[in-house]
Amino acid sequence: MTTASASAAMRKVSLAGIMGNRGALWAAVILMLLLLLVPVALPGYQTLFRTILMYVALAYGWNTIGGYTGYVSFGNVTFFGLGAYCSALLSAHGVNNLFADVALAVVVNAAFAALVGLPILRLKGHYFGIATLGVALAITDIVGNLDAFGGTGGLALKTVDEAHFSIYYYAAWLVTAGAIGATFLVARSKLGYAFVALRENEEAAAVLGIAPTRYKIVAWAISAAIAGAAGAVFAPANGFVDPSIAFAEDANVFPIVMTILGGIGTVAGPFIGAIILSGVNELLARWFIKVHTLFFGAVIVAVVLLLPRGLVWLFGLRGGARTWLKSLAAYKA
Amino acid sequence: MSALRIADVGMRFGGLWALREVSFEVERGSVVGLIGPNGSGKTTLMNVISGVYKPTTGEVRYAGRRIADVPTHEVCHFGIARTFQVVKPFESLTVRENVAVGAMYGRDGGTRSTRASFERAQELLEIVGLAQVAQRPASDLTAPNRKRLEVAKALALDPEVLLLDEVMAGLNATEVDEALELLRDVNRRGVTLIVVEHLMKAIVSISTTIVVLAEGRKIAQGAPTEVLASPHVIEAYLGSRWAKRQEQLRVIEAERAEAEHMQPHEPNA
Repeated sequence: MTTASASAAMRKVSLAGIMGNRGALWAAVILMLLLLLVPVALPGYQTLFRTILMYVALAYGWNTIGGYTGYVSFGNVTFFGLGAYCSALLSAHGVNNLFADVALAVVVNAAFAALVGLPILRLKGHYFGIATLGVALAITDIVGNLDAFGGTGGLALKTVDEAHFSIYYYAAWLVTAGAIGATFLVARSKLGYAFVALRENEEAAAVLGIAPTRYKIVAWAISAAIAGAAGAVFAPANGFVDPSIAFAEDANVFPIVMTILGGIGTVAGPFIGAIILSGVNELLARWFIKVHTLFFGAVIVAVVLLLPRGLVWLFGLRGGARTWLKSLAAYKA
Repeated sequence: MSALRIADVGMRFGGLWALREVSFEVERGSVVGLIGPNGSGKTTLMNVISGVYKPTTGEVRYAGRRIADVPTHEVCHFGIARTFQVVKPFESLTVRENVAVGAMYGRDGGTRSTRASFERAQELLEIVGLAQVAQRPASDLTAPNRKRLEVAKALALDPEVLLLDEVMAGLNATEVDEALELLRDVNRRGVTLIVVEHLMKAIVSISTTIVVLAEGRKIAQGAPTEVLASPHVIEAYLGSRWAKRQEQLRVIEAERAEAEHMQPHEPNA
């Protein structure tokens, strides 16, 4: 195949520009509005959809640092967990207010990410990934050994009665909508361009006047604030947190796979990936207990090989399987 | 008035001195051509001036500040911009977005809105001749267009001093003339240029001063015709290659003569 036809194929499918595909974005907005109806239309599936929304929010949190800025974090569960503990500690002190929970989680996590980011965001590539994993493991152990956090025994939270339980669903929806909205605004702003420039080439970005460490810290703080908010609304609904729940492996790995499946560094990608994977995962978990985690491994391999730019990429595809194969070859070249 | 002072700059990589005791001044509004054989330290010097490398000895001063004291991302805020010899476009962004990033974060970026940055980017793309491909991803660009994009990105920083590292490499004759016209235009707007280029014709026609590097040292400086006539430069810059080519020609000539000499005997053999 000639380079010319390969690049022509690329042009048809390329996600030119920072926004990604607009069709995919509209699909995400419409689905999100439909999700607002769940407590009324499908009350029996509220918990399931609340969990899905939580993963959507976490995927957006991860997308800011891992997708837009290109710093692959394996430790974003830290922020989810600390967010959950913010709610638990507030509840232990008699404050049971979801707004207070989210506000505290956002502030604490953004500050914590900035503090940790100062040293570790100077690392690049795999080293950054390993450092984030180290932070996640360390924080899990520290929290498990602090009496103020209830140690490994965990903390119980005061939960509203059954009749008002949908408040937790709406809270999760709001946090998720906030995460999508924040991503949309960041992507359109100067900030978004700084993140992408750093991802594409840090040296070239610096020469254009972008302070690398400063903007990476901002990206990670936004990422942490979103994950923290997701944790803050999860904990009261769950009624209980301990280190194994708050720092669960699923909450760490799933958002990464979801974002990669949907389309890394796009506004719609994390939503689409999270909805599809949560749905499939839920069904598989019902039919095959435990084996369903294998499925995630298979998805990662398949996506990396066949859809390196994620599902959002397919939205812009014209010309069917041949265009796809051509552009795939062009991408690998 | 001198805009940029390069004083006794030395740059060592391990055991190798890529630059040694290089000093010269760049007048405001001038065009300085930086030439020298491959490996003579031209790109290294560009990296030192633009603050990407901190020199081992000496210093580069601009507007009274030592460049080495300034972080790389602040250098453009002083008015120094550069292009990279190995182009570094942001591949997933469109051509226009690439330039707009410079306009957003460059010298006047703080006061410029996203929309104004895009308008500025569009203007610059028209100037460098990339307006038709403004909305295409940068990864689609051909090699000459990538060079144009580098220039547009650097111009987006609203520089006072622009460092151009081989922006004309790979261009055909017409494109070189266009590029020269563009650079003259930029210079007329008051931008001081420091140009690294292998094309002698281009560098002679645009430079007001030429600085010659060889093996990391400055061996000549002056007006183009004067510098190129200097025996020092011919020896160090053109001489070695010239000598080698002459040697090769002599060998070929000798072989041909020998072959001709053999020819008449062949039928008898």
